[in-house]
Amino acid sequence: MANTVIAQGITIEGEITADEDVVVQGTLRGKLLAKDAVSIEPGAVVEADVEAGSLAVSGQVTGNVSAADRVDLLAGGRLIGDVRAARLTIADGASFKGNVDMDV
Amino acid sequence: MTSGVKGTFDGGDEAVVGQSTRIRGRISGEGDLRVEGAIEGDVALAGTVLVAEGGSIEADVEATSLVVEGTVSGDVSVSDALAIRATGRISGIIRAAGVSIEEGASISGRVEAEFDMPEELTG
Repeated sequence: MANTVIAQGITIEGEITADEDVVVQGTLRGKLLAKDAVSIEPGAVVEADVEAGSLAVSGQVTGNVSAADRVDLLAGGRLIGDVRAARLTIADGASFKGNVDMDV
Repeated sequence: MTSGVKGTFDGGDEAVVGQSTRIRGRISGEGDLRVEGAIEGDVALAGTVLVAEGGSIEADVEATSLVVEGTVSGDVSVSDALAIRATGRISGIIRAAGVSIEEGASISGRVEAEFDMPEELTG
């Protein structure tokens, strides 16, 4: 298990740097820099800029996000902020406000 | 969620700071936390904090209980039990209701544990 999990009930205020997968179920304010997959799960509240290898959002994110590979905004997910990624999917039932830069 | 933790944690979702993760900032809330990576910032949790071997916290720690197999540099305040395992290192003031220290553990600082003296000592 090479993983970082911010479980429900936990609040982190600050900067997280991770060279491994990160799962957020709790609250994060600050900044998240991860080389691998980041998953913002239902119930999670992220008020932070997020840089990730890939990013899946089914919780709430306020902040600019960028991913080396892809960003998936899943059903129930809510993203307010700009997205920078080569690939982006927005599922039915997701909400999004912001700009998209697909590096074209 | 599955995890490799045995013993001290009693189910529920457990937070993990993985081996190659560094957190600079404050961690608070309710729940158990397993630290395999590095935390530079205060930790205040209602729950069990386990600093695994190789893990480190460079700041003050407040928790219900604490198990140290790695390194803690900062003051430690534990409302229940504190266990310092053989590989554990703490530098700072330690306050806990109960403290257990394994042979091999390293402590620099002061231990302030609350306990009743046995009758033959209090006279």
